[in-house]
Parts: sequence; structure tokens; C-alpha cells
Amino acid sequence: MVAATSAWTPAAASVDASIEPSQIALGESAQLTIMTSGDGTLSMTLPVVSGLEFRVVAQSRRIEIINGATIASTSTIIRVTPEEAGVFTIPGVTPKSPPLVLRVNPKGGASSSLAPLPGFNSSASGGAAANGIRLTPDGSAFVRLEVPKREIYVGESIPAEIQVGMRNGFAAASNLPKLNSGDFTLNNLSPQPEQSARVIDGKPFTVFTWHSLLSAIKPGTYSLNFAAPVTVRIRTQPRGDSMLDDLLGDPFMQNFFGASITKNITVTSPDTAFTVLPLPARGRPPDFGGAVGSFKISTDISSTTNTAGDPLTLRMHVNGAGNFDRVESNMLAGDAQWKTYQPKATFKQADPTGYHGEKIFEQPLIASQPGVQTIPALAFSFFDPATRRYETAQSAPLRLTVSPSVADRAAGPPPALAKAAATPVEDSHSGLRPDHAAADASTDTLVPMYMRPQYLIATSALALLFGSGWLALRRRKRNARDLRRRHERLRQETIDACRKQMAAAATAGDPALFFSAARFALQQNLSGIWQIEPEHITTAELDSRLGPDHEDIRQLFALADEANYSGGAAHAADFVRWTSVVQRRLLEEEKS
Amino acid sequence: MTRFMACMLLAATSVFAVSSSHAQQALPSLASPPPSSSSTFTSTSVSGSTSAPGYSASALFNFGNAYARAGKPGLAVLNYERAKLLDPNDPDIESNLRHVREASGLPTQPPAGLDRLPRIASPQILSWIGVLGLLIAGASMLARQAYPTHRGKFLASALLGFCALGVTLGCALSVWPTLHEAVVVGHSIPVRVSPTLIEEPLFVLSEAEIVRVNGEHDGFMLVKTRAGRAGWAPSSNLAPIVPKP
Repeated sequence: MVAATSAWTPAAASVDASIEPSQIALGESAQLTIMTSGDGTLSMTLPVVSGLEFRVVAQSRRIEIINGATIASTSTIIRVTPEEAGVFTIPGVTPKSPPLVLRVNPKGGASSSLAPLPGFNSSASGGAAANGIRLTPDGSAFVRLEVPKREIYVGESIPAEIQVGMRNGFAAASNLPKLNSGDFTLNNLSPQPEQSARVIDGKPFTVFTWHSLLSAIKPGTYSLNFAAPVTVRIRTQPRGDSMLDDLLGDPFMQNFFGASITKNITVTSPDTAFTVLPLPARGRPPDFGGAVGSFKISTDISSTTNTAGDPLTLRMHVNGAGNFDRVESNMLAGDAQWKTYQPKATFKQADPTGYHGEKIFEQPLIASQPGVQTIPALAFSFFDPATRRYETAQSAPLRLTVSPSVADRAAGPPPALAKAAATPVEDSHSGLRPDHAAADASTDTLVPMYMRPQYLIATSALALLFGSGWLALRRRKRNARDLRRRHERLRQETIDACRKQMAAAATAGDPALFFSAARFALQQNLSGIWQIEPEHITTAELDSRLGPDHEDIRQLFALADEANYSGGAAHAADFVRWTSVVQRRLLEEEKS
Repeated sequence: MTRFMACMLLAATSVFAVSSSHAQQALPSLASPPPSSSSTFTSTSVSGSTSAPGYSASALFNFGNAYARAGKPGLAVLNYERAKLLDPNDPDIESNLRHVREASGLPTQPPAGLDRLPRIASPQILSWIGVLGLLIAGASMLARQAYPTHRGKFLASALLGFCALGVTLGCALSVWPTLHEAVVVGHSIPVRVSPTLIEEPLFVLSEAEIVRVNGEHDGFMLVKTRAGRAGWAPSSNLAPIVPKP
């Protein structure tokens, strides 16, 4: 179709070209309209401008007969889409045609330039709300807030309904609606909106409804609105072309002919004014925790008969409507008859926002005493906006019977059981071995004797005694051995010294010193063997202890006495002989 | 040396005899008041007219039977376990204990390894075996030091003594876990991750189940089952096999 309209040759034709609007924002399109009339031939080509895209979107031909004369006219519509901002000059479509100027502004604030949708009532578009609805200028979407009242208290939650309507085929929600106010909080926004169909000014709309709770955080007079991001389809056909409107009024046709583009815009709701009142200070109960609404409470217990020490569960049900997030309770606390724990709360909401529902507090309790016990009445304070005063709801006291605990009963068996235990029973039918008749000796503890402290202390002391004795004996033996070794070492050192002295005396030719040293060396040697003092080893001792094969030792002792008293001379050969005798004897004794 | 060893033996025997007589209550203790523990089962004389203090294996066994007949398997198992501590080689106790556990749907497994050791004799005899073993071993080691010429004979004697001592030590090791165990005496006791009632239960203990107690806090016991699961259970539903003094 584009190719077909790229050139034609009407005879005696006149050409008129215009562009609307002449000023657009980047991302929008303008419409270039070329009207030809007459019978002449005209050559026309699509203009080429850097930064602009031209696309023929429609062509129509009209033939009029006026007073018998036929007048044909052709209308060609070209969509002009800028690729960048700036001022563009579009040359004339014929050599004689004047150029056209298109001003393209940067992005932003373009919602005001949206052309209204074809066929839409201009009175309903662009501001004045119809049925409390304010449509966007192009009539494609709206946002609306519905609240039950405009005067609320600080902390009070009121259900709010946020409606985002979009004309079918022209708009689609792209995100959740957002609250535009810092003085309010929006809680529990339903994740999935309700969807409904609605006709506004004869046009079908799809309305998405979110439910939420709105609450104010400080007193005063405030206004708020909601904004919803919406993707709308903008027609690129300027207004005023009724023929094209007829042709492109349907979204399908617009899509088909490519006469619209999509754009993300933000649709806001009309401002809604609220008066926020402070909670009165007078009459505020001490246990007031910020709950505002209308509530009722009731209590129940998990069991009316229980065992001391066993846990019970006390439940408090808070029903009604209001800000359940501020509904708190410590339930039963500080009661000497009951050991209490921190309550745990669960909330069952009756509507999507949680404005109506039931909050259940569960508190574990343990009765400290057996007997008939009473759980006192529980109270819950809140502010009722309807009556404009604080209210305190109370539950009824609960009574229950607490029996002694198993541990308490274990201090003594029940009378029936004690009697049964005291009487031997033949119980073969139940699979149990019969009772024992004989009463054996009793002990004061179940711990076996070999694990009792007294036994362990006694055996440990015994083991310690044995260990100490064993160590003492071992140490004594070691000390004696060490002493012997020390004596032996000293004796050996003395013997070595005597040997050196003998060598020196032999060199010096001193027989008295030689034999004296030789005798002393033998005395040291023999004292280690006989375990007597060296000085006690005399000739008489030698006679009594040594056999006849040790005559040389006796002779050496005699020579030592003789050399000591007479100082007799000795030859060198004697020194060598007696040195070898002493060495041999010492060697023999060491070997033995 | 001989005099030293004789003195040692005499001292050891006297010390043990004194401690043993103190630990083991015999007939004279029947007149004393019952133990002050809140969770002990006092024995009752056959006639029922006077109450005998302390623990008696037969009385505990009879209590266990009575609780078993009354449909309280937890308390029955508790009494059987206590009776077993006093008389571990009584087949009646073992039989009834197994019967109650089976009736409660709890696993029963015969004792194996060290667990069989305490059943070879009564705790008193095992205690004396330990003392005798210690005396033999100690005296032999001393004699081995004093008389080196008979080291081999004394070493064999010492080994014999150590074996006897090992039997008693093995029994002690076997019984040691029981001293820290408790019996579940309530129905379906929830076990939580912390000693509070607001936590969701991790698992549930069955009645008559035996658990190991690893600690206590604020009315709760930190228990560990034989399957290895651990948590806090209310103390009121657990009865220690060996009550605390």
C-alpha cells in the first residue's frame, strides 16, 4: 500500500499539505496530511528528512458531484515520527509546495499533549469527573479512592478501595498504585486486584480494585491521592479528522494500521481530604496498647482437668474490626499460682485487608499447685471511634482441677498400688512374672556399691597406699643402687690414682711408696668385693678370706709392711713384676 | 617390709569395712526415716502395717508389676530399671521389663558387651571382688619390689588382682550411663529446641522411653534419645532412674 501511494499522476491537480501538531514531544508522532484535488497529473514522493521517519498510514479518495460537476480529491495521511529532538524542516511534497516545520521537544510532560481517543466525549476527558471519576486527558484511564469516612483518629485503620480503570484496548496497568502522602500509611495492600468491567460514557473499561488499610500517623488536616503507572496507547492521528476517526476508532484498526504507539504514563486520583483527630488523653486505660476499633474478647483453656507441672494453653480470642496490628496482650502475668510464659499471637483475617478478623493469643501455663484453680478474668482495652471513648473488654474467669504431678505421686505410690505391691500377685495371665514375696534388705540409694562415693574413696585410698608403698620401695632400691655405683666409681678412681702412684714410684725407685700404693689399690679392689672398709683388709683378713692361690697378694702386703718399716731396696725388675701382679689381680677381680 | 604390707592390708580392710557399712544400709537402717528424695519409691513391708525406708529390689519389682497392671508403662519401667540396679541378675525383672517395653511398642534388645558384666553377681559381691583384686594386685606389686627373687610369681598374682579389679571397673562403666538416664512417665511428651513451651515441638517422646539427661533448666531437662535426637522436655514428665539426693 505504501508503494502504491509513493507516486501518482493526477491531471491539473492542486496539492495542499499540512502537519499537525507542529510541535510534539520526542516519542510522539505528528500527522502529515496531503490533500490533492483536481484532474491534473502530479508527481509526488515521500519526503526524506534526517531524524524523521515518514510512513503512509492511510489514503482515501472522495468524489463529489456539485451541480453536475465531478470533483475528485485524495487524502493521504503520513505519520511523522521523530528520532531525536529538534526543529525539522520538511520540504514540500511538490516543487511548488512550501516547506513545513516540525518542532520536536525533549521527553517529559507530554500527557497534556495526548490526543483524545476517537469518539470520546471531550466533556468527560481531561478533568471534570464523571460520577466521581477523573479520566486522563485522553480518556484512557482513571484512578479513584473510596474510603468509608474522612474523619479518622491517629492510629485508626480504615478500609480503602483503590480503583484503577483502563479503557479496554487503550490502557494497561503496569504496576501497583502508590500512595502520594507522607502523613498516611497504606497497609495490607491486596496483592491481586479484583477485576470488573464498567462502562463509562458508553466506553468499556476494565476496573482493577485493590483493597487496603489506610491509617494516619499524626493529627491534622491532610489530603492524599494515589498514582498508578499505566501504559496507554496513544493515537498518532490528530484530532479533527472525522474520516480517519471513523476508520481508526477501533483499537484493532489502529493496531492494524499502526496509527498508535504505547506510552507509560502515571495516572493520579483526585485529592481526598482527611481530618485526623488525636486519641484523647482523658480516660486512657493503663493497659491501652494503641488498638483502635471495635473488639470483643473471650477466653478458653485447653483442658479443665490437668496435672500439676503439665502445661496448659490459655487462649484469648479478640474479635472485631480495627487495627489488629496494634492489638496486643500480656494475658496472665504475675500470678503466683501459675507459671506463665510469653503468649504467642495468631491472626485470622476475615477480609483481604485484615480489617475484620480474630486475633488469638495462646499462653502456656503451668499450675504450681494441685487442687481447684481459677484463672482470673482477662481484660483488653481499646479506643472505639464510634463511641469516641476508651473501652475495656473483659472475659469470664476459668476454673479447672489440677491433680498432683507424676513426680509428686512418685514420692509414694497410690494407695491402691501400694496395697497391690505389698501383696504378692500371681500374674501369669498378663505375661508378667509374679510379684516377689520376700522383702530383702533395703538401701538408701540405688547407686551400686562399687559406684558410691564411700567405696570409691576407700578404694582410691587403698590404691594410693599401695602406690605410695610401691614407689617408696622402688625409690629405696634405686637410692641403694645409686650409692653403690657412687662408691664403685670412687673406688675405681682411687685405684687409678694408685696405679699412677705405683708407676711414679717405680720410676723414682721408691719401694716404700710403690708397695704402699700397690697394697692400697688391692685393698680398694677387695673392699668393693667383700663390702667392707678398705682399712679393714689386713693380712689376717686376707688369710681368712683368700685361698692358697692368692699367695702373691699376701706376699705383696708383707712387702709393703717391710718397705714401710725397713725401707728395703728393690730392683727395677721387682717393680715390673709386682706391677703386673697387681694389674692381673685387678683385672681378674673386675672380670669376676 | 612384711610389717609394712601387713599394716597396709589392715588399714585398707578397716577403711573399706567402715565405708561399706556406712554405704550399705542393713537391718538397723529399717528404723530410719525414708529418703527425702521426692521421686523415690519407698519399699513397703509385706504386711503393709509399717513402711520400710530405702530401696528394695523386690519392692521395686512389685511396684513395677502394680504399675504395669494399672496401665502405666512409664512408671512400671522406671521401677523395673531401679530394681535392676539393685538386683541386676534377677531374671524376673528383666523379663517383666522386656514385656512392658514390648507392650508399649518400644524396642527391646538383649544386653551386649559390657552391659552383661553387672549381671554376673550382685553389686555387693562385685564391690568386694574389686577390693580383693586391689588388695591382691597392690600386695603383689609391693612384694615384687621387696623380693626380687620371686618376681615372676608376684607378677602373675598382680595380674590376677588387676583382672578382678577390671571386672568391677567394667561394671561401673556399664552402669554409669544408667545413672544419668530418665524414664518418660507421660504420654507423648513434646521435645522442644529450647526450655520454653512456646517453641514448636521437635519430636515426641513415647511413654516408657528411656532418655539420657544432659542438663536441667527451669523445669526442663535436656534429653537425648537412644536414636541420638536431643531437645528439652518438661521435667514433670521425666523420672530419673537414679533420683538426685
